[in-house]
Amino acid sequence: MVDALRRTHEVLMPDGVVIDVHPTVEPAAVDVGGETVGHVETEDAPQRHAAADAAVRAVVDEGLFRVDRIAHFDFHTYGDSIEELRDYIAANWRAARINDVVMQRTRASLLVSAPGVKPRVRERVRLTLLRRLAPS
Amino acid sequence: MAIDEDPEGHEAAAFASSDVLLAARRVLEIGCGNGRLTKQYAHVAASVIAIDPDAGAVAELARELPMVDARPISVAELRVHAHSIDVVLFSWSL
Repeated sequence: MVDALRRTHEVLMPDGVVIDVHPTVEPAAVDVGGETVGHVETEDAPQRHAAADAAVRAVVDEGLFRVDRIAHFDFHTYGDSIEELRDYIAANWRAARINDVVMQRTRASLLVSAPGVKPRVRERVRLTLLRRLAPS
Repeated sequence: MAIDEDPEGHEAAAFASSDVLLAARRVLEIGCGNGRLTKQYAHVAASVIAIDPDAGAVAELARELPMVDARPISVAELRVHAHSIDVVLFSWSL
């Protein structure tokens, strides 16, 4: 990760910027109607996201970039059903799954929810804007 | 049956609030996948190089966004001139 950021320093114009978008270490939540009923199980996602944060800190400490701005937002992925979300995550996320307990809780919550409410996965995401600096 | 990603547009809003102008800029996107994010800015950028090791996803992007220089490679395999890019975007890939 640090190597990738160093490489970008080489290809960027002197006044260039890096925009890094990646999830925070907060576990991805499964929501129904805005209420959290459980979380997505992952093998190493918090560690990977923490490593990305550390890589950003490293290139800032090296004097290659400075942090211009940080913003956070929630990224929602909706499915027509919890089964659809489960299958999507199993197919598209790395080493992640919605376990049976969360599946059951979600189904129970959907049963008492207003018509049309869809389950969603909510990820907290950080956007970091890095400004290129000339190495000292 | 349909998966709907970020229908509220929170990601686009975060980009807008970052004050980074992608219009008329030379952009390198790392980890472009199938171009979910690329579609939001490719039409206004001066040029876009989009890379991802997932050849299938990159092929999908290339079909949909033919103006993008889409390459199924990793950062280590990237060959571009020094100081030739205005904005590098790590798209959920760092």
